[in-house]
Amino acid sequence: MEVIGKSVIRKEALEKVTGRAKYTNDYHSVSMLSGHKVISPFGHAKIVDIDTEEAWKVPGVHAILAGNHYPLTGEAIRDRPVIAVDKVRYHGEVVALVVADSPEQAKTAGDLIKVQYELLPVVNSPTQAFQKDAPLVHERLGEYKKEEDSHPVPDTNIATHIKIRKGNMEKGWSESDTVVEATFSFAPSDHAAMETRCATAEIMPDGNIIIMTSSQAPFMVKRLISDYFGEDLGKIIVHTPFVGGAYGGKAPVQLEILAYLASKEVGGKPVKIFNTREEDIITSPCHIGLDATVKLGADRNGKIRAAEIQHLWDGGAYSDKAIDVTRSGAVDCTGPYNIENVWCDSYCMYTNHPYASPFRGFSHSELSFVIERTMDLLAQKLNMDPLELRYINAIRPGNTTPTRVRLNKSNLGNLPKCIEKVREIFNWDEGPVKEINERFIRVKGVSCSWKTSTIDTNAPSGAIITFNKDGSLNLMTGVIEIGTGTKTVLAQILAERLKMDVDKIHVRMEVDTQTMPEHFKTVASRGTFMAGRAVLNAADDVINQLKEVAACALRAPKEDLEVADSRVFLRDDPAIGLHFKEVGYGYTYPNGNAIGGQIIGRGKYILRHLTHLDPETGAGKPGPEWSVAAYGVEVEFDRRDYTYRVVKACTVVDIGKVLNEKAALGQVMGAMSMGIAFASRETFYFDELGRVLNPQLRTYRPLRYGENPEYLVGFVETPQLDSPYGARGVGEFGLMGMPGALGNALSVAAGVSLNHLPLIPELIWKAKEGET
Amino acid sequence: MLPFDFDYYKPETLKEAVDLFQYLDQQGNQPMFFSGGTELITLGRIDLAYTDAVIDIKDIAESKVMKVSGDHLILGSTLSLTEIEEANLFPLLTKTASEIADHTARGKITLGGNICAQIFYREAVLPFLLADSQVLIIGPEGKKVIPINEIFHEQLRLKRGEFLVQLATDSRFITAPFISIKRRQQWDTGYPLITIAALKTGQELRVAISGLCPFPFRSKEVESVLNNIEMSLEARVQGAIELVPDPILDDVEGSAEYRLFVLQNLFYDVLARLER
Repeated sequence: MEVIGKSVIRKEALEKVTGRAKYTNDYHSVSMLSGHKVISPFGHAKIVDIDTEEAWKVPGVHAILAGNHYPLTGEAIRDRPVIAVDKVRYHGEVVALVVADSPEQAKTAGDLIKVQYELLPVVNSPTQAFQKDAPLVHERLGEYKKEEDSHPVPDTNIATHIKIRKGNMEKGWSESDTVVEATFSFAPSDHAAMETRCATAEIMPDGNIIIMTSSQAPFMVKRLISDYFGEDLGKIIVHTPFVGGAYGGKAPVQLEILAYLASKEVGGKPVKIFNTREEDIITSPCHIGLDATVKLGADRNGKIRAAEIQHLWDGGAYSDKAIDVTRSGAVDCTGPYNIENVWCDSYCMYTNHPYASPFRGFSHSELSFVIERTMDLLAQKLNMDPLELRYINAIRPGNTTPTRVRLNKSNLGNLPKCIEKVREIFNWDEGPVKEINERFIRVKGVSCSWKTSTIDTNAPSGAIITFNKDGSLNLMTGVIEIGTGTKTVLAQILAERLKMDVDKIHVRMEVDTQTMPEHFKTVASRGTFMAGRAVLNAADDVINQLKEVAACALRAPKEDLEVADSRVFLRDDPAIGLHFKEVGYGYTYPNGNAIGGQIIGRGKYILRHLTHLDPETGAGKPGPEWSVAAYGVEVEFDRRDYTYRVVKACTVVDIGKVLNEKAALGQVMGAMSMGIAFASRETFYFDELGRVLNPQLRTYRPLRYGENPEYLVGFVETPQLDSPYGARGVGEFGLMGMPGALGNALSVAAGVSLNHLPLIPELIWKAKEGET
Repeated sequence: MLPFDFDYYKPETLKEAVDLFQYLDQQGNQPMFFSGGTELITLGRIDLAYTDAVIDIKDIAESKVMKVSGDHLILGSTLSLTEIEEANLFPLLTKTASEIADHTARGKITLGGNICAQIFYREAVLPFLLADSQVLIIGPEGKKVIPINEIFHEQLRLKRGEFLVQLATDSRFITAPFISIKRRQQWDTGYPLITIAALKTGQELRVAISGLCPFPFRSKEVESVLNNIEMSLEARVQGAIELVPDPILDDVEGSAEYRLFVLQNLFYDVLARLER
């Protein structure tokens, strides 16, 4: 391996470190108008009146969109008005949109729009939403258009219900000598990407709709605008430049629709819709919350015989992506353990909270927290080492998942090996508890996780390779550069296959949906796998074409040719050959005759063997493979103040194959940092009117430099045989186990079961107070 | 983005600044004295601050002095918090100020700006309350020098058109033993759950607190209980807690009950550090 595994510096590094990299909001033209959103100050209220008279008097105002019945939107259920009509269902919901020459004018006008509200009873948690007499967030749930595999229950707040029925519960419980049960909860929170969301739209005289957006899913933008508004697919052209962090929050389609409607309203002029930080936190989709109950039963050896799980996901006011998150939470509900008897009800609940979207890990950090805390409760009751309990129950080849997929050495990572490595690098055997003095104690907690990516069964990816006359290559894929360095890794995959210098491969960073092959979405750690396969396919196509031309020019059979170091040459006499610059644009004979023409490599990939889930049992194959990881977190806890410091955090992930070492380390550590922040500090605080009380970075605080612990990262490499060089997704794993491991360490340290997030000292204090 | 336009003035003398304010005020404007600008920028964009004329006082010589004069330390109101930290002429102030906001913001936030801030923590005032500092204020009626404890009640009670120019602190207090602790909801970022600053002069312990109530304060009553060595340690701490002013903050940073729990332990820490 020449290029694979090397810490190749990301191709966009210089642009980024010099501040020259451009993001959506950095593109502005003189003629571009600005949109300003007027948002709901309440969680649930009837809109009695919207008075725009004063706003229209502000100079520069071109349009005010309010109170119109546009087609309903929403990915899984069409339940969401683009701009609220009749009532608002969450704090931050758009009730009017002003389009003006400048952002200042738009805001001035927006502030003059008077909206009269009549408060409605608020559904403030998924548990409340689940009660029989709960107020309804959607009165006409039964009338919405929906996807076939969404299962809303009319006259309730249930947006969907996913059932997992595996094995025989009666048998499972009868074999269980020890049973534990606990309930958990955490409120929605934010992704807090550095770049707030932004979209522009312009409708050309020929009907072309040009959109630019900070999105993980430009191809989805194209499809949905076509679906919702009946526009021709080919006329919708979506551009996505660099995206400044996404974490799942930029997978939903929202601002693009506002920009499109606004542009339509002003005769097709370009309009920009930009989120302020406050709007990015509450108006755009957030990180999902969860209330859950987990019951586990184990035999006297600690083998888990039964699991019964209920998830009440806080989907917020509109179901959108929360339905997929709910499904994903159900299919991996047990965590990475071999359990033959599983019963899970995963409900996506409507509430009057900002609506939810995926969050790095796509339901898995959330489901892991509730499972991993219960695993520790079980270990405690069994009087067993918590790492040992995980080891003996670790899922292995031959076992089946909750949706009954039979696992093997390729589609499953090696969890026992990850656990062993955590044991070693985290010094588990020195014991999890160290008394420092009467007041301070150091405690280690552990956890595990797994994940499959439940994406569309027919999700596509593609790659195109072209040549430059100097023999260098251009690589184009539909993967968005969201900060993960995936495009650089794809160049490495191509360089490795062509055995050439990665510096001679130029990567197109911006994506546009008109000229680049579709990549499903840049989500779910699928960029490397799917686009990587497409790149390999395109590379093989290039090799074949190079050999074809060279065979003719060199008067040698194709089979005798080899490609390496930007040359095609005879295997047995490498001196006889041609450089890419002599064949990439066809070969020209000394007399001027030419053959071949420019080489355009094309590659594609589509996931195979994925199925929908059986609506009654959940049986089906939801994703291509399951990666696994094990974790440790060490805290120093103050038994007087209930404050603590995270000393160390450790992740060992089965990455299949390390493609770019520093990039992988960066992904894992960055994700751990995010996981610690989610576990320990980030949350929305709601008042009784459903208002988010901290929609600002002053009061909503991700982890800052200097607050981070020492990070320990280990890799296990169990190849996934059908993946490029055996690699597995890595971007999400560092995060997923942090809440569980931190919760486990603190529960031991404080001597009280901590079942809620975030784990702030006040929460621990309350749990301790509740004890006495 | 600030949703309003404003005129910008940069006077060079105190008198010019005061006259300008009066003039603009009489013209029906809403002038504002301005130095670091962090509040105007961050609160202006969310409609919590407004002005149509800013009078930037940063370049006025008197407002940026930092010197020891006789047995007093004079600090100008437009010194940035980082300038104060780096010079470290008043260690208690250095410690307290270094916990405000973050390093980047402290490069802009000024001493006077923090003390006169709309955001009510105003932690930079705590050391001056403890040190019985004098404040120099300028206004339409000219200069005046007043003990800070006479004019700071929850906030600096400035009259319209006045601004804070300097603070003078007796070196006796600058060298006194002190402690300053900031407790946040979690770790090192964010507003205070409680910031407590304390110093000891002779046998007397003084404490000032921010974050407990929607204003910073120094309470003689609290101090007198804490200083009552006739009582047991527990009784003094409990007694002091009973005497803190109302209301106790109950917000997203923490509940009122929890703040009192934190305060109790902070009192123990202060007493442990400064007693004997």
